[in-house]
Order: sequence, then C-alpha cells, then structure tokens
Amino acid sequence: MRNSLRGLLPALIVAAFAGFTRGDEPGVGSRFETDVRPLLKAHCFQCHGEEEELKGGFDARLARSLVKGGDSGPAVVVGDHAQSLVYERVAAGEMPPGKKKLSPRELDLLAKWIDGGALTVRPEPETLAAGDTFTEEERSHWSFQPIQRLPLPAVQQAETIRSPIDAWLLSRLESRGLSFGPPADRRTLIRRLSFDLVGLPPTPVAVDRFVADPAPDAYERVVDELLASPAYGERWARHWLDIAGYADSDGYTEHDAERKSAYRYRDYVIRAFNNDKPWDQFLVEQLAGDELLTPPYANLNPDEADRLIATGFLRMGPDGTAAPGVDQNAARNDVIAETVKIVSTSVLGLTVGCAQCHQHRYDPIAHADYYRMRALFEPAYDWKNWRAPNQRLVSLWSDETRRQADAVEKELTEVTQRRHAELDGIVAAAFERELAKLPVEIQPQAKAVRETPADKRTPEQQQLIKDYPFLNVDRGSVYLYLPDRLEPFNKTWDELTETIRKTRPADENVMCLTEIPGQVPATQLFSRGDFNQPRQEIGPGELAVLNSSGLTIVGDDPQVPTTGRRLAYARHLTSGRHPLTARVLVNRFWLHHFGRGLVATPADFGALGERPSHPELLDWLADDFTRGGWQLKRWQRMIVTSAAYRQSARRRDELEAVDPDNRLLGRMPVRRLEAETIRDSLLALGGRLTPTWYGPPVPVAPDDVGQIVVAIDTRDSAGRPTGKVVPLGADEFRRSLYVQVRRSQPLGVLEPFDAPLMTPNCELRTSSTVAPQSLLLMNGPFMAQQADALATRILREAGSEPAAQVERAWRLVFCRLPTDAELTGGVAFLNDQSAGVRGAIAKDPTAVAVDPSRAALANLCQALVSSNGFLYVD
Amino acid sequence: MSHFTRRHFLTQQAFGLGGLAVAWLMRNDAVTASPPKPELERQTFDLKPRSPRHAPQATAMISMFMQGGPSHIDLCDPKPELTKRHLQSYSGDIKYDNAAEASAKLFGSPWKFTRYGQCGMDLSELLPHLGQVADEICLIRSMHTGVNNHGQSINALNTGRSTAGRPALGSWLTYGLGTESQNLPAFVVLSDPGGLPVLGVENWQNGWLPSLYQGTVVRPHEPRILNLDPPEQLRGAAQGRFLSYLDQINREHLARHPREHDLAARIQSYELAARMQSAAKEALDVTRESEAVHKLYGLDDPVTRDYGTRCLIARRLVERGVRFVQIFTGNQTWDHHGGIETALPDVCRKTDKPAAALVQDLKQTGLLETTLVHWGGEMGRLPVVQNEKNIGRDHNTYGFSTWLAGGGVKRGCVWGETDELGHKAVKDVVNHYDYHATLLYLFGLDPQTLAFQRPTGRATLLDGQPGQIVSGILERPPPAAT
Repeated sequence: MRNSLRGLLPALIVAAFAGFTRGDEPGVGSRFETDVRPLLKAHCFQCHGEEEELKGGFDARLARSLVKGGDSGPAVVVGDHAQSLVYERVAAGEMPPGKKKLSPRELDLLAKWIDGGALTVRPEPETLAAGDTFTEEERSHWSFQPIQRLPLPAVQQAETIRSPIDAWLLSRLESRGLSFGPPADRRTLIRRLSFDLVGLPPTPVAVDRFVADPAPDAYERVVDELLASPAYGERWARHWLDIAGYADSDGYTEHDAERKSAYRYRDYVIRAFNNDKPWDQFLVEQLAGDELLTPPYANLNPDEADRLIATGFLRMGPDGTAAPGVDQNAARNDVIAETVKIVSTSVLGLTVGCAQCHQHRYDPIAHADYYRMRALFEPAYDWKNWRAPNQRLVSLWSDETRRQADAVEKELTEVTQRRHAELDGIVAAAFERELAKLPVEIQPQAKAVRETPADKRTPEQQQLIKDYPFLNVDRGSVYLYLPDRLEPFNKTWDELTETIRKTRPADENVMCLTEIPGQVPATQLFSRGDFNQPRQEIGPGELAVLNSSGLTIVGDDPQVPTTGRRLAYARHLTSGRHPLTARVLVNRFWLHHFGRGLVATPADFGALGERPSHPELLDWLADDFTRGGWQLKRWQRMIVTSAAYRQSARRRDELEAVDPDNRLLGRMPVRRLEAETIRDSLLALGGRLTPTWYGPPVPVAPDDVGQIVVAIDTRDSAGRPTGKVVPLGADEFRRSLYVQVRRSQPLGVLEPFDAPLMTPNCELRTSSTVAPQSLLLMNGPFMAQQADALATRILREAGSEPAAQVERAWRLVFCRLPTDAELTGGVAFLNDQSAGVRGAIAKDPTAVAVDPSRAALANLCQALVSSNGFLYVD
Repeated sequence: MSHFTRRHFLTQQAFGLGGLAVAWLMRNDAVTASPPKPELERQTFDLKPRSPRHAPQATAMISMFMQGGPSHIDLCDPKPELTKRHLQSYSGDIKYDNAAEASAKLFGSPWKFTRYGQCGMDLSELLPHLGQVADEICLIRSMHTGVNNHGQSINALNTGRSTAGRPALGSWLTYGLGTESQNLPAFVVLSDPGGLPVLGVENWQNGWLPSLYQGTVVRPHEPRILNLDPPEQLRGAAQGRFLSYLDQINREHLARHPREHDLAARIQSYELAARMQSAAKEALDVTRESEAVHKLYGLDDPVTRDYGTRCLIARRLVERGVRFVQIFTGNQTWDHHGGIETALPDVCRKTDKPAAALVQDLKQTGLLETTLVHWGGEMGRLPVVQNEKNIGRDHNTYGFSTWLAGGGVKRGCVWGETDELGHKAVKDVVNHYDYHATLLYLFGLDPQTLAFQRPTGRATLLDGQPGQIVSGILERPPPAAT
C-alpha cells in the first residue's frame, strides 16, 4: 500500500480522459463510447446497469438507454443539456450519491455530447449481457494487443549502436534532434554495473584491473563475471521478493506470527536467478509447482522439493487465520484476495482487485473476471474447509527421519510425566508445611478440603480456603512456596528435556500451496465482494479481455491428480502468446536497470497506468525475451552492454530543454542506492560482510528504546530488556536479504531508506530524501560501527600517513582516486579533527582515551559513506 | 534548486519513517492547522497539526505513569473502616497474585490522612506536596481495569485493551492531532534510570498505526535520543567539523552533477537534521531554567533530582509544542508486595515534590489550561496483608486511584468511591474505556471517528467498547452527555 501510486490517481484520471477526447472542438466529434461512457462507467454504472437490480429502472450503459431514461422519464433531451434530467441531477450534485461527484470537466464532456446530438461511434448492440460487455475502445487498449515484433528502426548515428535496444532508443532521440550522451568513464561504469548486478561496490582491485584492461571486450568480461557471481542472485532475488511480498511473518494482526520456513522460498528465488532458470519454468513452478508432483508429497528429491517450495509465492500474502480474535471468514477471504493481488500485479500488471466488488471502473475487467481468477486458487485455498498456515506446511522429512522424531517425542512425553510426578510430591510437601501454620484442630478439615474438588466443596469448606488462601498451592504456584527446592528441580529437568529435545531432527518444513485431491469447492461470485452474498458459480479462467486464444480451463483435469487449474493457467501465461506476461516482466527488469520502467507504472498496464514511453521497444524486448528461451542473463547482458546503459549520467542543456524527465534516455539517471544496498555495501567496505548464502533468517528484535535491530530477542517474559546479549557472531553481518522480514518490525537502518512494508507486496519502491536518513547517517550507532570498521581496514591497508589514508578511502568508497583538491581537503580534515579531538581530551580528564588520529580517520570514513558520492550511483 | 522545495521533504515525509524514533519531521507549512477531514480516508500519514472535530480543551498531555501500582489506600483513598478492622479476617472474594504469601488479614494504613486545600481533599502524609496543589487536581478514586497483572493492566490503560500489540495512547493522539512542534518529536517518552517498566518498549509502540506515531525515547543516559544525539566520537566541535567537511564534499559532488535536485535536497536535509539536533538538545537542557524553578522541582536535592529533572523536561517539551509526554517510573517501582512500610515512603519522597511542582509550574506559566496532566499506575493494592513477615500488599485492579489536572478537568474534585475497605470501586466507576473516552473528548476527538482502517476492519482506541465520558470531572462537559 505504502508504495502504491494511489496518491497519483486523480492526476491520472484526468490524463486518461484527456486521451479519449478527440477532434478539434470539444463536442463536435463527441461520441458516447469515447467521451461519455468512461465517466458514466466510473460514476454511475454500478447502480445503473451492473447490479442485479437497476436503480430507478435506469440503465446508463448505452446511449440509447441513457436517452430513454428510467422511472423518472427521459434522461436526455438531445441537443439541450440544460433540459436533460441526467445533466440536471449530476450538475446539482444529487448524483452520484456519496462524496465523489463529477468534475467540472466531466460535466462539460456530458453537456457537449448532449448538445452535439448524443451520437455514438457505431450502432449499439441489441442487448447487453449482465456485466460482461466492453466497448471496442476498452478492448483496444494497447497492453491487451498481441506483442508485435517490428524490424529495428534505422538511425543516423548507426556507429554508436552496440545493442538492438540502442536502435529503438536512438531513433526516438534522433527524432527530437538528440543523441546518446558520451560513454561514462570506466570507474563510473564498473561502479554502476556492480551496484546494478550484485548490489555491492566493486573492490579496488576489480576497478584497477578493468581500468587497465586493454582488451576490446574488457567491459563484457566484467559483465560476465558479475552475472556469474552468486551475489548476483542475491541482488536480483530481492527485486522479485518485493513484488512477491516476501516476509518471514504472517502480518494481518498485531500477533504477526513468524513464518519459520518462508526462507526456503527466498532461497529458491536466489537459486533460480543464479542458475538462470528460464522464466517460463520459474513462473510455472511458482504458480503450480505442486501440480507437477503427485500427492502425498513424501520422500521428495531436491528438484521435487523445489517445485513445492516455489508455490511459496502463493503463500506470501498476509495470513491472519491463525491469529486469535480474527473474523475467520473475512481473514480467509482476505488471504485469497491478497494472493490474487500479488499474482495480478506481478505477472499481469493489472489492478484486478478493483473487480472484486464491482466491474472495474477503468479497465475492461468484469466482476465475474475477478472470480474466474479467484477460481484458479479456490481448490487450494478452499475457504470453507480452511487450513491454517501450519496445517499447510509439508515436511521434507523422510520416513526414517519421521520415525526418529516420533521416538524423541515419545521420550519427551515420558520425561514430562516423571517430572510432574516428582513435582506433585513437592506440592504435597509444600501443602504440609502450610497446613502446619493452621491451628491443629482444623488441620484435618483443611486436609479434607484439599482432597475435595473445588466444585464439590461445601460452603464451610470454601470459607476455610478463603481464610487460609495460602493453602492453594499447586504445580503452577509451588515455586512461590519452595523457591529453593524448585530452582534445582527445574534446572535438572529443563536440562534433561533440552538434551533429549536436541536429538530430535530439525524441522524441514515447506511453506507451500497444495490442493487436497478430490476436494473441489465451487467459486461463487460475491455480490459487492461480500462473501455473505454469494451468487452464481464461476469457473476458472483467464480475464475475458486477455483470452483471445480461447483458453478454457476445466474445473478438474483428469490428467493430473490435482485440479490442474493453476497449471493450465501458468502454461497459458508462459505460452509466449500472452499479451501481458512478457511485457510486464521485461518492463520490471528494465525498471531495475534504468530506474524507471518503459511503463512507469509497472503493476498497472491498464487505463490508469502510464503509456509506454517506447511501445515498440517494449514489444521487441518482450518478444526477444520469450524467443530467447525466457532466460534473463542473456537478456540482461544485451541491456547492460548497450550504448544506452553505458552513457554518462551528466545532464546536457539540449537534453534538458527537450526531455527534462529523461523519458527518452539520452543519459543515465543518477539514482540513490536502495536500503539493502546501503547496508550491505557498508558492511562490505568495512570488510565485515559475511559471505554465507541461504538458510533461516537472521533474527530482529527491538533494542532498549524500541528501534528494531539485528539481534536475538532477550527480553524477559514481561517484555523488559534483560541487558543480555546473545552474540549472533558473523550472522549479524550477513546481507540484508537474509535478515528476517517481520511485517510488524521493520529494521531501523533499512526502513528510513524506503525498504518496503509488505502489505501485501511492493509494486514500486519510492526513493525519498528526508532528515531521518541524515540523522541516522550522522548519529546512528550502526554508522559509527561501520565507519570504525572501515577505518581499521584503511589503517591496515594504507598505514598511518594521512594522504595515503585519504587516497585509500576514496578508492574504496568512491572507486576512484581523489583529485588534488580532494586530497588536500581530506588531509586537512584529518589534521583538524585529530587536533580537535586531542585538544578535547586534554581539556576533559573524564573523556574516554582514544587515539585522536584514528578517531579522525573514522570520522572521515563516516563522512564519505554519508555523502552523496557514495549514496548515489551515476 | 528550482525543483526543490520544502514541500519535497514534506510530501516524502509520509513515507519511510521507521523504527527510527525521529519521526516527527513532518512540519506545519502554515501556521493554522488543516481543516478536519474524514478520518477514514487517509492514505498517507504525517504529523501536521490537525484540527480535532470539536473545540479542544486540552492540546497536550503529560502522563506520569507510576508503574507497579501505587497503594491507593495508603496514599489518597483513606479507609477508616479498614483501620477499625485492622488484622481481622476479610470475608469477601479476593484475587491474589501471590498465593504463597496470601493472607485474609485486613491491614489498615499505617499513615495519617489530612485534609488539604479549600476543597478539603483527604491525602496521606506521604504526599504533602500534592496536598499543596489539591485545589488544582481531580482525584479519581474509582478506577477499574479488572485484569490483575501488570502487563495486561498497563495495556488496558495505555492502549485500550488488555491484549498486546495495540497502539499506545500517545500514538493515537499524535495520529489524531499531529504535533505543534517544529523540530521535536510528537510523542516523547522519558524513561527511568531504574530500568524500563514492565512491557518495556511496547509501552510506546505504534502497534498497527504507521511507525511515524511511535514514541521517541529520551534516555536517562547519553546519547539521550538515539540518532538525534551524536555518538561519543562526534560530540561537540567534532561533529561541527564533521558536518562542515561532509557539506564540502557534498557540494563538490553537486558541482560535478549540476541540476541533480535530489543531491541538493540531501544537502539541505543534513542542515535540517542539524537544526533538529540542536532543538532537541536545547529542549533537554534544564540548566537554562532559573534557580527558583530548579528548587521547585527539587533539582537541588539528590532524592528528587532525577524525577524532578524529567518532570521539568516534560514541561519544556510541552512548552515547545510536543503533543504527548509520558514519564515512566522504573521497573516495578510501585509494586510493593513486601516492605511497603519503608519502600512506599521512599518512592513518594522521590516523586511527590516533582509531580506537584509540575502542576504548580504549569499553572504559573499558564500551560495548565491546555495541558492535561495524569498521575497514576496500572493498579492499586489490596486491603489485606501480603507476607506477614515483611508487610506488603498484593495487586488490585478492581479499585484504585488516579489523578488528573488541567486541560479542562475540574479542580479540587474527588470522583468515585471504592468500598469501605478500598477493595473494589463501587461508585462512579471509571474503567479504561471511560478514561479514554474522556481523554479523547478533552482533546476534541470523537472515540468513534478517530479510527484506523485495518485489514480486520476499522480500529479505534476504545475498540468498539462502550466507554462513557466522565462528565462529572469536567469543567465543560459535553452538552448531550448524561
């Protein structure tokens, strides 16, 4: 939600309508389909056409019925808007009911159309089916059309072209009298490439080697090296995990329970990127990996396990169904709705969710379309026979491991029984001791009360217990009576239990989406999205407007043990003929390389989304991607070796005058590093980044003021800090990708730099510039630690001479040598700062003794990594 | 610089403010607050001052949270009947927290009560300073949460329900009203050198409200505000040189990247950050106060210095536009299961004078008119003895006392009663829902419309519970209220 484009909606609505108005004079060429229907659809159709009951007997969906009107008589007097009832009602603000009224511009459009003769583009259909009819105009929206591969355009400066994409970009630039900028220098290039492909800065050695490499393919070899690095998968998995909504917790309620095995999906995604798994396969596995296997899912080999793990994609949305106090029906249906949202925003690039309650206001997506899509997931989710998150886990244990675990469980049960038996003896002893405090004469009675169950006690017996409340000793409270006995008792038994528990094989669960064979619930359309108002049954299928191939998905495919619905859909999406899948994917990849998609709204390719800046290029890229076997690395190599990608980021006057927003890519953009890249790079610069891959997430916990840090939670049972620190060792310094994503506990060093909150997923990150970031960089304990680590490294590598230190710092942080002025400035700072620190120590005898020149070097390091030269990539 | 305006900061400010406790940055562009909006349509969140639905009587609040449960029957709810039946057996139903030391023996208060002020408020000899401001405060003797352990009862009073994970009162108020402060956090917590209270950092959590509304902690030790105070190695002039060097390299970088507005914006954001840092430092610097003020709060006495300093800081913060300040006493400071005869006077000596001074000081500076002051814990204590060998009192959430002052609350007023032994609230009972409904009313907020849309539905502080505004304690009660 946070990163959605919701705030832009009003502006986009205006833009969308502007697109429909044609002709020189408004009104003259005004037609129902192009000028009036869109606004009526947005404001009126729900009550006047779409729902079962026609409000006021008035159907606004056709010009014919609009003119005819309803119970209140004719709604339009052709040629005279002032006399037209429909205009009168909306102009007076009586319609539509509610807060959202027609804008003056919309009113004007309506008036012009009435005055212009209430014309249509073409004859209107005789009948309208319930809810499912869209106009030619809506169906002809660009992104629903087949992908076209056009021949590369001719360009004047053909010698600058390095990659096919350059031809498309350059031809557009040339059409505006522009061209590409000069190539960036090699230091800039390797830094750009390294952050882009692996999310880490290049080492000074790598920079020097590249700068000095005379080979003509020096750049290409750096590209290949980076693409082959395991860090590549970690970097690019992060992008996909954003849109998949990856989190290690359930979200939805404040309980936000941990998802202990979600990480397997994260690891699967990293491996997929590193192994360059073809995206058709990658998508099929994520949408229907379980349907490629045969239940029950036991004794799986690693490949089979991967297919199951892949469906974790469909389990990433928040799921509150195991949290106490939730409305189960609402929570269950929300899980399905969030899953539909994740799938549609990531793969279809459409805001299908709008059609959950009613016909989509702007795109030709019917109410029933939404439920067709929902029906794909219904057999697995089955909201009336729900499985809570834990019940959906599938164990990877072999039969043998399971037997071992059962044996351990049995032993633990026995130990608990023995423990309780001994504890009961202590409780009895405590009771005897307490009993002795009573007058001797009532002790027998008290004993009798003790032996009588609470609900069988006589009033006298109850009074006796009230008079001597300390007689109420039991297993739970005996520690208050005999603390000296309980302490060693608990210690002994806890240790024994722990010893046995350690012999239990570790859980190896997979968080996945599966169906129960034979269980095929019906999907019903929910009137107004309300599950309490189910209507007709709806079968699975593709959105009608996207289904030019006539795909039918059967309710239960006899060829596979499951229903096969998701598998059929996934194959349809990856057939190479789907108009959106490949466009949406390549646009997303492009976005990560160039900072902005060819379609700037990567999750909305519909009417409210932005139009592509380079439609032919988008299609060419999509086509190339699918024809090239859906393999990303090959495609990316083509992108990053292009002349466009290798340009300088410098703004040029001629470019600024024509294309200040750089839509035409006459230069590379200057971009701020993402949150994770900042943290990872700081760790790398200090030489502390732990290069281990995969596995359970590194935990997060609040510190003593409530800021979330990488740490093991050592708070006591009342939530108070214990001051205890359980060291995480090298795990503390793993890449941010491996740090637990607890939906309710965003990491304090990442969140200010726009790390997403997964509610349910993140379609597009923002890049903000706000003072909390500056405060964190200036004063945050994490920054001080990393600056100190970097200073240590520089001392080790460059020695104690200030000029050498400055030079080394520059090479590490900025990937280049300092200029003379920068060198002088840096050395001056070191000298001033160490003199200042020395003076301060001399003045204040209580000051902590530090080495002034080392302190100054750490300050220099912190300044460098807090500066724009580090935080931005050009 | 043409594309860069202050609004650029502001519009972005709604995003990305994290667990980082420096979330108050969203500043007011205009002097006047924005007009009331329907609460449920908010999609972006900020700390701009927002007009409440009704004219507010209180615009800021200082809550002195007495964690552990001060013994009302020994402090402000005298029970002659209890004294009369001292050491007799209690025959009513009673819930003990500690079964082993439980006893049915009634225990009269060992301390004398005196009538204070023109209103004649009965207070114990342990609170002589509070007595001096008795005519300013409203003492509620009928508080009730009915959940008998610390964590649950703190949650009830501080978040609306006994369950964990909901937004704190300060988060709700800043969500509803934003802040008037320019460079300071909207919601500040002053923690105690004796350790965090029960529930720790959850006491100032934003729950499921955006993290912008989390409380910012002023610690009892350096750095006082994390990320807002420089770390050890950058104190004082060292940071001055650091920032000036950083500015220099940023400007050189900008010169090589002309017209990159975001780079210029970041240079300015460092300047803004530095201003916030000095504003916070100034607000916490009590040496700027006169000697008379220091004396008033007891800063000249080692016993009262710590608590007095925090009360004085609270006043300085509210004076500078901070919306909500909560001062916590240390972990279980008031939880007198044993040794109450020495421990209770001890903690009273530390807190009585500063707490009373706060009321007096706010009164004399005119801030009391619009500043609601709260004093109270999550529970009171039982009239029966706990641990006959080392006298204490066990938990009691069925009847306890709290006082309020300022912000539209009646002066010199005593409200509600517990039974003759001080066990259960029996007259004009004020439960946590009523308490919150009343607070929101004083701030001009409506408990029904101050809401946040969650996946699980519309959420409010009262969580749909029927809280009643306690009109009897208000100077200007709502006209329709009964």
